[in-house]
Amino acid sequence: MSSRRPARKGATRAPVRKPVAGTPSWVMPAAVVAGLAVLVAAFLVIRWYTTPLPPKAPSQDTTAQVISIITSLPSSEFDAVGQGTANNLVKPISGSTLTGASGRPEVVYIGAEYCPYCAAQRWPLIIALSRFGTFSGLQTTTSSSTDVYPNTITFTFRSATYTSQYIDFHSVETLDRDQNKLQTPSSTDQQLIARYGGSIPFLDFGNHYASTGAYYLPDIISGMSWLALADTLKQPDSAQARAIIGSANLMTAAICKMNGDQPASVCSSATIQNLEKNLK
Amino acid sequence: MDRLRLVAVVAGLAGLALSVYLTVLHYQGVVPACPTTGPINCDAVLSSRYAVVAATSVPTSALGIVWFAVSAALWIAGWRRATYAWSAIGLASVTVLVFTEIVVLGAVCVWCTAVHILVLAQFLIAVTIWDRERR
Repeated sequence: MSSRRPARKGATRAPVRKPVAGTPSWVMPAAVVAGLAVLVAAFLVIRWYTTPLPPKAPSQDTTAQVISIITSLPSSEFDAVGQGTANNLVKPISGSTLTGASGRPEVVYIGAEYCPYCAAQRWPLIIALSRFGTFSGLQTTTSSSTDVYPNTITFTFRSATYTSQYIDFHSVETLDRDQNKLQTPSSTDQQLIARYGGSIPFLDFGNHYASTGAYYLPDIISGMSWLALADTLKQPDSAQARAIIGSANLMTAAICKMNGDQPASVCSSATIQNLEKNLK
Repeated sequence: MDRLRLVAVVAGLAGLALSVYLTVLHYQGVVPACPTTGPINCDAVLSSRYAVVAATSVPTSALGIVWFAVSAALWIAGWRRATYAWSAIGLASVTVLVFTEIVVLGAVCVWCTAVHILVLAQFLIAVTIWDRERR
């Protein structure tokens, strides 16, 4: 006897599910791309929220105070830091000795106000040059808000003058922080940067040494005020002092080498003498 | 070898060539031709502390050489699960690098982006093949 029941007359068949087409093969990769696009958009939003606003320009009194601090750091500070964390970008070059308007060996700086690496490089340059002479007319500014390391605090050489009985200093700020034309390099400046550099910030130490680029990365001073940074430079074990004073020591060694180790009060220190040996 | 796998192998070899190029330039101290101002800035990315493996002087692009070489080998060998996993590791690494470029540095290197696109292409091919096989 069969267990199979005969189909009842008039019984309806179980409905057969209509086959559904599978998800198209492009959906999965498209979902991945869409997810990544959302992620990149989120990164951009985070960047926008975390970009520091341009710091408020300090008052004249504060500016004077900052300049006073960084141009009168004790020699013990320079000795305690040595090269610090500065990247030695100083390269020997061969050319006829560069002299300035007064006939003394000349340091040439070519940069621009928008440039964050120039902003970083001016701090140690001011500190180093202040060991050989005196600046006036330095003004505070920040690098471009739209470039990398936005709003890096610094000074500009656009209206600065420098006097020294040992060396001359010549600076060119080619563009302002909005990349408008500011100062035009002379044909000699253009030849120097073309021959020994190629990009900014460019430094030429009397045609004995030259460097291109900042000796430390600007992110180390990101978000700081001018006064806070100046105060930090008084602590030789701070990251900022190790980068900026270390860079200033390298520049000082290059200036001493171009200048016949004058003055002895600066150039005869063991720190500078050791760095001079590293300059080749 | 089907067409998708062949594309993956070619993308792997292209990525390998780009990574070798960036590594050689790193050791020569040269930055590849690229704008140096504004948010598209290879100099800012390739001279940053993130352009080398932490606490070493090994450029990140050297890791790219290893990744693309292994990836190409896996595609040729046809080891599917390993290929999928390797592609996922590659995409995760690229995500971290893109985060570093955009959020930390605020700059994008076009050469690095070309490498990242090749990693993404390999991941998309892996996903497509995986999706096709599970049906």
